[in-house]
Amino acid sequence: MSTVPLSARLPVPEGLSRSGLDLLKRWMRPLLRGLALGLLAFAIFGPILNMLLWTVAERWFFPNKLPSQWGFAFWGRVFSPRGNALESLTTSVGIALGVVVLSLALAIPAGYALARLKLPARAFILLMFLVPQAFPNLPVYMNIARLFYEVGLNGTITGVILVHTVHGLVYAVWIATAAFAAVDPSLEEAARISGAGPTRTFRDVTLPLALPGLMASAVFVFLESLDEFTATFFVGAPEVNTLPLLLYTASAGGNYQIASITALILLVPSIGFMLLVERFLRADVLAKVGQ
Amino acid sequence: MPSRALGLSLVAPALLTVAIFFIYPLGYSFVSAFSTSSGWSLANLQKAVELYRDDILFTVVIVGLSTALIGLCSIAIGGYLTLGENPRAVAVLKFLYRWPLFIPFIVAGQLMRTFLAKNGMLNNTLVSAGLLTPAETISLLDWRGIVITFVWKQTPFVALLVAGAMASLDRSTIESARNLGASRLRILWEIVVPQVRASLTVGLTLSFVTMMSVLSVPLMINAQSPTTITANMAFRINAYGDYGVANALGVISILLTGGVAWLYLRQASRDKGRAFS
Amino acid sequence: MKSAFALSGLLAAALVASTAVNAQTTLNVATAGDQNMVDYINEYLGPMFEKQNPGVKVRAVGTGAGDAGSQKVFERLDAQAKANAPQWDVDVAVVHQKITGKLVTDKLLANYRSTIETAPLVTNANAKAALGTPVEGYVMPMFNSQTAIAYNPDIVKNPPATYDELVEWVKKNPKQFGYNGIKGGMSGVSFVMGWMYAYGPDAKKLENGPFEADLVKSAGWTDAMGKLKEFNKNVTFTPGNAGTLDMLNRGEIAMGPVWVDMFYSWKTEGRLNPSMKLKLVGPGMPGQPMYYVVPAKAANADLAKKFVALATSPAVQAEGVVKRFNWYPGIDAKHVQANLDAATWQKLFTDVTPEELATKGRSFPVGPYFDAILESYERQGASN
Repeated sequence: MSTVPLSARLPVPEGLSRSGLDLLKRWMRPLLRGLALGLLAFAIFGPILNMLLWTVAERWFFPNKLPSQWGFAFWGRVFSPRGNALESLTTSVGIALGVVVLSLALAIPAGYALARLKLPARAFILLMFLVPQAFPNLPVYMNIARLFYEVGLNGTITGVILVHTVHGLVYAVWIATAAFAAVDPSLEEAARISGAGPTRTFRDVTLPLALPGLMASAVFVFLESLDEFTATFFVGAPEVNTLPLLLYTASAGGNYQIASITALILLVPSIGFMLLVERFLRADVLAKVGQ
Repeated sequence: MPSRALGLSLVAPALLTVAIFFIYPLGYSFVSAFSTSSGWSLANLQKAVELYRDDILFTVVIVGLSTALIGLCSIAIGGYLTLGENPRAVAVLKFLYRWPLFIPFIVAGQLMRTFLAKNGMLNNTLVSAGLLTPAETISLLDWRGIVITFVWKQTPFVALLVAGAMASLDRSTIESARNLGASRLRILWEIVVPQVRASLTVGLTLSFVTMMSVLSVPLMINAQSPTTITANMAFRINAYGDYGVANALGVISILLTGGVAWLYLRQASRDKGRAFS
Repeated sequence: MKSAFALSGLLAAALVASTAVNAQTTLNVATAGDQNMVDYINEYLGPMFEKQNPGVKVRAVGTGAGDAGSQKVFERLDAQAKANAPQWDVDVAVVHQKITGKLVTDKLLANYRSTIETAPLVTNANAKAALGTPVEGYVMPMFNSQTAIAYNPDIVKNPPATYDELVEWVKKNPKQFGYNGIKGGMSGVSFVMGWMYAYGPDAKKLENGPFEADLVKSAGWTDAMGKLKEFNKNVTFTPGNAGTLDMLNRGEIAMGPVWVDMFYSWKTEGRLNPSMKLKLVGPGMPGQPMYYVVPAKAANADLAKKFVALATSPAVQAEGVVKRFNWYPGIDAKHVQANLDAATWQKLFTDVTPEELATKGRSFPVGPYFDAILESYERQGASN
């Protein structure tokens, strides 16, 4: 229960004066800080750097620590007219945006209801949204494909958007619920007392205040959609061509150059979208997620 | 319109979407898990447990371990962002920690495959820095690689939630504790973390559930046995065409994740109830 | 923000609307296997077919490597069959042996071979049966692949020529041999199958059938599995087909089983040290063809057959299969050899000679034994 700081309890090495110890302390802290941040940067960027090297490597094998031949030959292969990279990229981004729109459209009313209104079996409802993430999807996709073939949704972008949405809805609904819960109810009451109807209150008071949280969920849903391969294959291919499909075959087959290039291309919309909504990822909203 | 009916009708579109486009096809999987060619039976489940008991345990242990590590790292990152006193360091940390969030799991597996190998980038760097000799390098391409990849990829998500929660705390409790001379580590552990427990647990629950279902990472990194439930499901389908046992494994998986999620939700509603009492 | 929303909504709507009708016919080819299978169609076969058939566009979809990729093709066709779709969205599929048997028994394929002109060019037994299931008429082999042991000649001066010698070598050099078990990919599976041919009871029966459940319970079988478990204690396990090549490349292992064509493509694409070599160890290691199949209700069945005929013509087999992609031809070798210069032909056989291929190149065990071996391995917890 001592409140004496740790540094004062350290034994003073012989020959080191009091001021010398202060000097050491003054240097130690920034040094440790710098070291810790440096290690973190290595841990985060090291693997990414490795990927970047593979994007420009034409020949790289042991014992060379770096590629023995650099070049953009594989970029040519990825972007070849038949390689469909640009088309896949546009499709992937388009689908991801569609998923965001659909998820929010479903999650906003659901989130509001779960946050504000009395609902029976609230926990059960929240759990239902978790199920698509909780059951490993591999055996289910075949059944989903069959259902989609029966209703003619297979091979359509709508079908792919639906499947991605189902997968990402847990993020959308849980975070939307939090966002609405974070809105101060007294503000809504004030609007109602001033004569605004419920829809107007929602549109002009609640929704704008909850928007930051909703944007946060949009980011996660967007990223989930860009990551999805199996669903897109079963429901979308061959009409719907997305980058993860290309990435998956290349990566699993050990074609590192193509896998790294495709990964790099996929990073661009992810980071772009994040920068777009960055200013909405506000602290007070993230605080209430999942309550 | 009575509040209950309104509430249900607002939730209905989202629920129906999940129900029709996932729960209904999932029903077929459940049926497949609990039936064989001779009708309803538990044979698939029995076979799944008999052949894969070690793997199930393995999956739970490494996902659990990853979740615990993610929790610790998120608290550390969130704590430094909230309590850190060097503005430049805080800014650098803020920039750094989010990057793995944008890397899809399959890419993360790909990255780690060459990074963590015996002669991969990690070991090469350690050798170049003189910390290891080439003979001492170890390959991390086993359960440790899976844990490292999961922690690398999921920490930013939980850290984002936790840091947000910490930043919105009332700073007066923190300030008064500082004035009393408490170390920042103690403040973090005894004052800050208890108040953000809710955000932490929801992030960890979502992470646990997601990690249990990942297939790409174990396939690309873990060569050893035992391996994860998902890898075994894939193997069962692709090598034997045995959907019964694969779906049985899926049922086991959802029981595990459902159990964890249910515990979390019960705890959360209990906390809420307590706040009003 | 509102405008951003509106924009994304519009974009999505536009995409939905844009699954528009093409004026031309599209031939859909679904191919299992590595990326190079998709490249083969996109870069070589597709443009060639399109030039010969104006108004047709060839679209290739890769379903993933190994039996997993073939499984996905099966699941797609099965889903459409169960949904009673009048026309299916795959016109030509390229799949492995194991799933072909299932496709035929489930009546998902068209019996087309007799209708194309290249049919008589294949006399190999693997065009008649896939792992013991009769498939004659439903398939045309695209290429033949073979597994062999890749080794680093700088470390391994005298590569082992038989499984016995390999076991000796591994005992003396623990952890220097690596393979991917049975769950990581087919190169590991083929190593285990070769092991059973070497040490298990009645290799001939394993390879050709008929299936007898007693053989699985016999002492010879259990012994062989036990020996494998012992052997596994001294090996390094690798994460997949690519993993083996990876670790070989980085000098982490000195030897490992690989697919011959994958080996050569990695060399060509600069991911493997050109000095690496291959050795086909006795009494034999399995290989398998990949088949061209036409689904029963393919939307463009006639075009599909034309496509397969083109792909299995001697000229294409020579230029495409052998020269560009280093695969062994699917049709009989003599038809192909005539279309190639001696140097290119020899390149195929640098490390593995035609004689070795003839004597030590085996096929996989028949279906029930295949499954039984995998399951025994799993049960034994033979360490992977």
